[in-house]
Amino acid sequence: MARAAPSCRAWSSEEELMITLSRSQLVGAELMDGGLVRFNGVQEDHIYGMEIQMDVNIPTGEVVAIKGWMKRYTNPICPRAVEILQNAVGMSLRGADWERKVMREIGRKGCEHFAEIVIECGRCLDQARLAKDLEEALKVEPSLDQHQFVAKWVRDHPEMREDCRVS
Amino acid sequence: MILDFIRNKIVEVEPLADGNVTVYWRLRDSLQSVEITLKFQPPDLVITEAKADVKPLLHGQSASAQALIQKVEGVRVGPGLRKIVSGLLSGSEGCELLTRAVLESSNAVILHFTRYTLQPGDDIEGDAKIAAARANLKFNPRMIGNCVVYGPGSPVMQGVEQ
Repeated sequence: MARAAPSCRAWSSEEELMITLSRSQLVGAELMDGGLVRFNGVQEDHIYGMEIQMDVNIPTGEVVAIKGWMKRYTNPICPRAVEILQNAVGMSLRGADWERKVMREIGRKGCEHFAEIVIECGRCLDQARLAKDLEEALKVEPSLDQHQFVAKWVRDHPEMREDCRVS
Repeated sequence: MILDFIRNKIVEVEPLADGNVTVYWRLRDSLQSVEITLKFQPPDLVITEAKADVKPLLHGQSASAQALIQKVEGVRVGPGLRKIVSGLLSGSEGCELLTRAVLESSNAVILHFTRYTLQPGDDIEGDAKIAAARANLKFNPRMIGNCVVYGPGSPVMQGVEQ
């Protein structure tokens, strides 16, 4: 079956061969009333399949509610990790070392794949706010310079982590 | 409710005819597009080739993604990988996203091999599955305390010296 080739595929002269391991992560964010964002996170790969829904207080980054579904796993004990997800309530997805804390409390005590979804959602916290503000600005001014808008937004929101400076 | 933001991330492992393994890692969301391609050479899983393409709406340019990613060529998947990759790719002029991409790609290569070790036990259930997990500890003692299956109170850990 044909797949869209990534632009950076390095060895195009070689034949397309079978994919033996594929993992997809999908994060959706809804900005809600009351300064909350609701994340829906899914992770599916050949071995595991799981999903979470998590509400986060935007200013503090604190998880206020979380639900999880473990759909495919390798051991009958794995679903016990669903209740351990509640350890996330009260944790902040901001500040130094928050990813390590999530991995320790949700991953090592429960399931690292649940932790991976929580972490990916947390990485989207400020990006979701920025995307929403950019979309609103474009409604008002469709010819807006998006790069300039984003640069200013990032300057005005020091809480946003800078993930990358390269292109 | 209509979503305000969406992120889609995929990592794919493709074994090549010459025995090497290629990993494609891609992230697309409302604000950016990042892709890397790594070639791993078994049995030591050394990264022999690395390519990257970063199209950020988020940030300006200050370095080349391609020049940066090539720093991981020669790195071997093994102990200390996180620290090594972070040292090469992160930092004030680096790219945390590329660091994550390399680590997640390396993890995917491991999962690719793990998949085939798990397959023979895929049909067993219940107590047999728990016994199989316990037996797995003989070969992978580092699993102890790694997740709920190998944590305190798990039936898998009954009779296991910790």
